[in-house]
Amino acid sequence: MQIRNFSIIAHIDHGKSTLADRLLQATNAVSEREMRAQLLDSMDIERERGITIKASAVTVLHRHRGSDFMLNFIDTPGHVDFNYEVSRALKACEGAILVVDATQGVQAQTVVNAYLAINENLELIPVINKVDLPSARPEEVAMEVEQVLGLKAEDCLLVSAKTGRGVPELLEAICDRLPAPRLAVVPQTRALIFDAQYDDYRGVVTYCRVFDGAANPQIGELGRVASGATGSLKVGDKIRMIGTGRTFQVTDIGKMNPKPVRVPAVGPGETCYLVAAIRSLADVRIGDTVTLDIDPAAEALPGYKPPVQMVFCDFYPATSAESKGADFEKLREAIEKLSLNDSSFTFIPVHSEALGFGLRCGFLGLLHMEIIQERLEREFQTEVVQTAPTVTYKVKLHDGTSIDVNNPAEMPRGGTYEQVLEPICKVEVICPNESIGEVMKLCSERRAEFKTQQVIGETRQMVSFEIPLAEIIYDFYDKLKAMTSGYGTMDYEVVDFRPNDLVKVDILINGEPVEALSLICHRQNAEFRGRLLLRKLQKQIDRHQFEIPLQAAIGGKIVARETIKAFRKDVTAKCYGGDVSRKRKLLEKQKEGKKKMKAIGRVEIPQEAFMAVLDQGE
Amino acid sequence: MRAEPGGVSARAVFAHPITPPEALYIHTPFCAHKCHYCDFYSFVDTRDQQPAFVERLARELRALAEHTRAGVSLGGGPRAGGRVPLGSVFVGGGTPSLLAPRLWERLLVAIHEHFDLTAPGGVPAEFTVECNPESATPELLRLLRGGGVNRVSMGAQSFHAAHLRTLERIHTPGRVGRAVADARAAGIERVSIDLIYAVPGQSPQDWRADLERALSLSLDHLSCYNLTYEPNTAMTVRLARGEFVPAPEDDELAMFDLAEELLTAAGLTRYEVSNYARGGIHGPHACRHNLAYWRQGGWLAAGPSASGHLRVRGGAAPSGVRWKNAPRLDTYLSRDDGGLAPVCDLEPPDPARALRERLMTGLRLSEGVDALAAAADAEAAAPGSAARLRHCAQELVSDGLLGVHGQRWALTRRGWPLADFVARRMMSRVGEP
Ligand SMILES: Nc1nc2c(ncn2[C@@H]2O[C@H](COP(=O)(O)OP(=O)(O)O)[C@@H](O)[C@H]2O)c(=O)[nH]1
Ligand code: SF4
Repeated sequence: MQIRNFSIIAHIDHGKSTLADRLLQATNAVSEREMRAQLLDSMDIERERGITIKASAVTVLHRHRGSDFMLNFIDTPGHVDFNYEVSRALKACEGAILVVDATQGVQAQTVVNAYLAINENLELIPVINKVDLPSARPEEVAMEVEQVLGLKAEDCLLVSAKTGRGVPELLEAICDRLPAPRLAVVPQTRALIFDAQYDDYRGVVTYCRVFDGAANPQIGELGRVASGATGSLKVGDKIRMIGTGRTFQVTDIGKMNPKPVRVPAVGPGETCYLVAAIRSLADVRIGDTVTLDIDPAAEALPGYKPPVQMVFCDFYPATSAESKGADFEKLREAIEKLSLNDSSFTFIPVHSEALGFGLRCGFLGLLHMEIIQERLEREFQTEVVQTAPTVTYKVKLHDGTSIDVNNPAEMPRGGTYEQVLEPICKVEVICPNESIGEVMKLCSERRAEFKTQQVIGETRQMVSFEIPLAEIIYDFYDKLKAMTSGYGTMDYEVVDFRPNDLVKVDILINGEPVEALSLICHRQNAEFRGRLLLRKLQKQIDRHQFEIPLQAAIGGKIVARETIKAFRKDVTAKCYGGDVSRKRKLLEKQKEGKKKMKAIGRVEIPQEAFMAVLDQGE
Repeated sequence: MRAEPGGVSARAVFAHPITPPEALYIHTPFCAHKCHYCDFYSFVDTRDQQPAFVERLARELRALAEHTRAGVSLGGGPRAGGRVPLGSVFVGGGTPSLLAPRLWERLLVAIHEHFDLTAPGGVPAEFTVECNPESATPELLRLLRGGGVNRVSMGAQSFHAAHLRTLERIHTPGRVGRAVADARAAGIERVSIDLIYAVPGQSPQDWRADLERALSLSLDHLSCYNLTYEPNTAMTVRLARGEFVPAPEDDELAMFDLAEELLTAAGLTRYEVSNYARGGIHGPHACRHNLAYWRQGGWLAAGPSASGHLRVRGGAAPSGVRWKNAPRLDTYLSRDDGGLAPVCDLEPPDPARALRERLMTGLRLSEGVDALAAAADAEAAAPGSAARLRHCAQELVSDGLLGVHGQRWALTRRGWPLADFVARRMMSRVGEP
């Protein structure tokens, strides 16, 4: 039995899921009807967005040139926010199929994903997909693949995942061109955890790729569980996670075919799912190494890194003041449940003077944040106010130590620190030739440092920049899409922290600083960002009987100012016998005690106003 | 409490131990034309319903007097035999001057039959009738005078033909002066006129001219109303449709101030947000009837849509029962609970509510509200309210909107145009509505 472990990587919508289904069908693992559901994606939300949140693995048996092959498709998340998960999944593979749409050509995610695979030393099979379409340009796209990624154009396979054309050739290439897994290098069991998912009934299901340990003589016996099995991992084994040191008893071991089937054991080169009475995803680290408690390996497999949260925002219940307490509990419960099947975001309770209780959450990236927010609303029916995202800043103090700041309120006072470092991303943008000027302008406005520019075919170019993460978390992507009529694509990856002239902007209402509204940004953007926020506030705060100055300040120096004019007239003309009840009711309805007001000095601000100002969504 | 059709009548009011009323309001719903800014219950009578209305009114007046006597004695007060003594009567509308003279005769007889307008101590009650210039004929005015009417409130609104047209008022500017002179000639000494400002298209100069024209009539009382876009009026709909441009807020404020400036210079004092009288609130020209409203006095109400208020005895803090007759002439005519009218709204006594009302109306007066009494009543109505109320007043004083005069809180010059704001603030400190 020969084994091939591989992933399919692609820019979004280039046909990764369709191709995966087609391959499963070609190996007779799924019927036509089952194929209709795209099997590797399990959550609704993934299907809608066309991206994959969690990687999983499917195993099929295939006969090729008289030999038996076990093919393990290891699914990867499609977006670089889950970069770390992508690279974990790729670590479990020896090869990857790089899918490029024959009408769209190489796109930003194609490039970033291909580089990830190349960095993992994977063998790549480039596939030009959708060749059935009349607008397909397979030769040109193959040239792009050669130009941009250095893969030979003549190695590209022409495939239609829709019609099935080229799929047998692809299966052959998988068996012929992809390398076999390496042999065990130590006798002790070592398996890489490349994914973990939470199942309501079974608890945590981990996906493993076995690298070392005892061979599995019953390899290929899917669905048959014999007693007295031998192998690297089997039911009943007491396993130990080398990173965390925790031990668990294996209760179930199997493969997805694509329905789950039990196996007696697994050995080196194989992938499997493993159930071991693990209660919470927090108990599992993706990238950790599984070994046997009875005879543990001395060293873990290389390369474990904890996931790093890069983008932060607060969630507050978006509800009336009265039910606030209960709504916060509901929000917290929902977030806790979500964290059961996504351990890569963090959350801590926060209390904002303005908004009450909420949760500060950290995400791998922007898309990750959006997904969580959407799942909160969709799966848990919790309405949230989401504050504008911030990034993590590293503040170097005088004593040489440094602290992470992901909330402007935690920023130390000016003069008490050496410097502030911010996360820098490497960004690849691919866009049509005609919009390159505008894209360059956008990037330069966002403090980007231009790196390289490369032509892709005749109509497009790829530009690489280094740009502060803070500059792309707002509306960069939307702007890019707009200025390229939807054709521009981008991808990014945090590569560094660098010092910059970053300042905390305080917002003052009637002279009183309001911590909840303060922000951190580059000094040159302070006025613009400050004014934007002041204008929003101006719309939200009712006029008072006195003029209210709204100011944005850096360390006491005002950089922007707006005012809310005093109202001068608020009186009913007539109040006679018949008007008393009606007017009393009217005044009572308007009176401030009705709305939950937050007093900032003498200024009364409805709670909703804070929400409106801080809320991301317009 | 909202009454179902066929449900509650004013009888429920008199189940409370009431104190004797000071005043009586009578509502006549007929107008010659329905002005588009008007939200009073009034309409053009096309079915000759006036005689039936006046008969019905007479029965209601009889019933009110009877129940008042019973209610007062229920409250432990002296059982007053005979006619119910009153300090004021006000006939409003609608357009009372539109009632035919013989119906007026009938109404006047009914009023005097059940109510004593000479008491107390032989001081004649203030008896006001609202008149529109076009229908206030010398004959009618003489008839009214003969029936004890001693005050007329004339709906002048403007002396500017274009603005009268904008308001859909049907008289001509010249008619107002004649009507005022006719009233005086009839022996009605107290004449007040109503003016409206901030009419679309009206400039502060136009308003000055109106005020000067009014002052040339040597009036002792004047009401100046900022035009209000009431919900559910035709004019408000037109405003929403953008058919005209309303007066800018700055102009409204300028006109508000201009009225005060010119009228004060002419010896009239603002004693309520929109009312001016020679001699101020305690003088002989202030409208006694309206003061009963603003000082939470007790008054009876007759006619469709009329609202009444009677103070009740007992309780930790002053309170009263409020009600409103159903605003429909046909129900008023067809449903007759021993003379009493069907009621659409009835608010039982509630000391906290009563105090909020007192703050609301009291703050509109030059005399303001009694701070000590308000604080004490606040505490009795809702413990903890007194301190909140005092603190709130202090803030308003430091903002320059409220002044302290003796032991009373009253609006300052800056506070007048913000009366609702001040009221809202202070009301919010008293219990939970
Ligand atoms: N015409 C054509 N359409 C395809 C082909 N492969 C995928 N598609 C369509 O392209 C869209 C994106 O495919 P999907 O597999 O969801 O892309 P993914 O985001 O990379 O997983 C879907 O509408 C597919 O039906 C193909 O070979 N030919
Ligand atoms: S005359 Fe007076 S009551 Fe009648 S409709 Fe006009 S404003 Fe209203």
